[in-house]
Amino acid sequence: MTGPAEQPNSGPPQPLGGYRVLDLAGPMGVYCGKLMADMGADVIKVEPPGGDPMRGIGPFVDGRPGRSLYWLHFNTNKRSVTLDIGSPKGAALLRKLALASDVLLETCQPGYMDSLGLGYESLAADSPGLVYASITPFGQTGPYRDFKASDLVGFAMGGYMYVTGWPHTPPTRLWGSQAYHTASNRAYIAILLALYHRMMTGEGQYIDISMQEAVAATTEHVNTTYNYTGEPAVRCGFRHGGQFIATWQCSDGYASITTNTQQAWDDLRAWMDRDGMAGDLMDAKYNDRFILRGEHSDYIEDLIQQWALLHTRQEITDFGQSSHHPWGPAATPDEILDNEQLWSREFLKAVESSDGGPSMVYPGAPYRLTESPWQLRRTAPTPGEHNAEVLSGILGLSSQELESLSA
Amino acid sequence: MGLNGDSHQTTLALRGIRVLDFTWIHAGPSGTRILSDQGAEVIKVESNNALSVVGGPASATARGLGQRHNWNAGKLSISLNMKTPQAIDIAKRLAAVSDVVAENFSGRVMPSWGLDYDSIRAVNPSIIMLSMSGFGRTGPWKDRVSYGQTLQAWSGFTQLTGFPDTDPSGPASAYSDAVGGMAGAQAVLLALIHRAKTGRGQWLDVSQFESLSSLLETLVLDMSANGPAAASTRAGNGLPHGGGAPHGAYRCLGEDRWVAISIFSDEEWRAFVDAIGHPQWAEEQRFATSDERWRNSDTLDSLVDSWTIQHTAEDVMGRLQAAGVAAGVVQTGADLSRDPQLKERGFFRRVQDHQGEYRTIESAPYKLSRTPGSVTKGAPAFGADLTYVLRELLGMSDDELADCAIAGAFD
Repeated sequence: MTGPAEQPNSGPPQPLGGYRVLDLAGPMGVYCGKLMADMGADVIKVEPPGGDPMRGIGPFVDGRPGRSLYWLHFNTNKRSVTLDIGSPKGAALLRKLALASDVLLETCQPGYMDSLGLGYESLAADSPGLVYASITPFGQTGPYRDFKASDLVGFAMGGYMYVTGWPHTPPTRLWGSQAYHTASNRAYIAILLALYHRMMTGEGQYIDISMQEAVAATTEHVNTTYNYTGEPAVRCGFRHGGQFIATWQCSDGYASITTNTQQAWDDLRAWMDRDGMAGDLMDAKYNDRFILRGEHSDYIEDLIQQWALLHTRQEITDFGQSSHHPWGPAATPDEILDNEQLWSREFLKAVESSDGGPSMVYPGAPYRLTESPWQLRRTAPTPGEHNAEVLSGILGLSSQELESLSA
Repeated sequence: MGLNGDSHQTTLALRGIRVLDFTWIHAGPSGTRILSDQGAEVIKVESNNALSVVGGPASATARGLGQRHNWNAGKLSISLNMKTPQAIDIAKRLAAVSDVVAENFSGRVMPSWGLDYDSIRAVNPSIIMLSMSGFGRTGPWKDRVSYGQTLQAWSGFTQLTGFPDTDPSGPASAYSDAVGGMAGAQAVLLALIHRAKTGRGQWLDVSQFESLSSLLETLVLDMSANGPAAASTRAGNGLPHGGGAPHGAYRCLGEDRWVAISIFSDEEWRAFVDAIGHPQWAEEQRFATSDERWRNSDTLDSLVDSWTIQHTAEDVMGRLQAAGVAAGVVQTGADLSRDPQLKERGFFRRVQDHQGEYRTIESAPYKLSRTPGSVTKGAPAFGADLTYVLRELLGMSDDELADCAIAGAFD
């Protein structure tokens, strides 16, 4: 167990305080549950007896299977109960818990929860205020509803993978399981909309989230490019937007140099000229920054790249930022852990270990609500850690009944 | 009501919520469109000075026009020249009758107009103000400027995305803006729930750097627990912490055609080998278990390629999915536009713009059974709703409007 199991909730009230969420999600939705838990919801992670398979996903503390950092990260602020929802007894208990909850989140194959008698229609008949969210690879309807997908396949089918990477590499996955997290982010928006609607009307509802659609709505340019020009967008590494919005290799890594304004382009070529590396770029025929995507773009690209190798990331960043241009370094992971801005805003939070191990650094929430912020109230639970308090506290089970469950 | 809702009797979750929307380019407008889809009245404040930026009313390229519609569908537009005191006065009066004020300028802009949170709260105590900046409005970097790609670089996404033996590629386009838009909408919805409970508004100081960094998964945990050397390096299409082989994009028949395949368990592997007809290599001992497949994944990848290259990506997907294996075409924009699944679910919508032309936009990627949302028109024309907004919402008279126009407030 890392850190204090539970800290007294001394912070200001959180927006989702008072809501109870049953979290039956796997990797496709586990982040959605975390987002709700971190904003104050009582999120109860329902694990199969013996623990959730996500506890076996790396990385691990000390690099050896055991304590999964994946589990610790995605289950902050949650409680855990173990239930075999495939058994009639477990399904009956889950039903009772669902009726005492505001939100149910699940990522099972379409039809599976129905087959257990735990589908939306069945639960809503007894609890019309329930918000029931299902995240699946392709949604509950349509010809692909039963197709299988991992993060990778969701990223591919949503259209983001084809455009990521270089022309000479295969289409490339984003670092991290971003298709899963995009599905979670979209599901979270839908759940918040449903909760707001319920506050106004008392009505619950069913939410059907497709990972494929979540990704397809998050690509920025894939759909608009094809639908408005008739040409599909292609892979161009980190040189999107021609050389307007580009990253360059420099003497100690890579740096992003965006010539989003005429001033930025003029400042860049003047600096190159001072270094004697501008070629003829100071010539009036290169004055218009839109030259960067014209017939001379390959020539200019070569010049900028040769010049950038003279400078460090820090020099490029300092020069750009001091002139209000959006330039910055491609940071390495250790630099993120040390980032002064993230520490100063308390986005990063160190939690002391209770067992003498190193303290661990947790990342914060994607937003800062000044009156009702993110809090780390408790670290991720052990399997069934809250069986007693949930099953007797919420459902009123006796200690004999609890014992018979664990038998 | 059916699960997909009935557009003729649509209930909108945010009906009655008014958003005064100063946001521009991508992150902000894509966030406020989420609110507009659910019935919020989003009043887009535009300026002649930003006509041709991405998503501006005079976007110079076809793609820019698409982005304008995609991120601004259903909104109203007013033109305000904030260099005039009349325009600033109008903005303040609108803030007083709004629920949410949204902006994604750098830190000095709103205060220079007297429209910082404290000034707005003075005229509207329960206002929710969304400020979406690059790095947040506090801390040593509060005045730094960024584009999506800058934040992708600074957060590590650029360095970590791509294959180990090539330059990093980073995310295509602006994942950061899309993430910022989602975080902004989430923050507003949380604040609306908080306000409904407590009556209190608040200031939402969204740092898009933090929004993106919150998606780094276990990166900082891993380094703090196991030392900086534990941090991930680029893993191409593999999972940085192991597991999954084959796991990647495999080349298919045709030009630049690919299929994504991911196999984790031995059961999935056996189903895959069955589906591809038991070629000799697939029966080899070195691929028999998931650990061995992972260890030999480079060899395995080229053998899988040798099979996929003989088939179309669509055939591979169909054959593997029939066997229960996760596989999907690496879809292009053209593929998405004719994807039967997206078509069946109505992902793309055709809506009319202000000139009656049909424009294609994306739907909200979730289906809420009672409040399915509704988007019935494209982006507004520049300043199209001045009359409604100033007469109906502010009760301004013809004389006042004329005075403001003469002063250049609407230029």
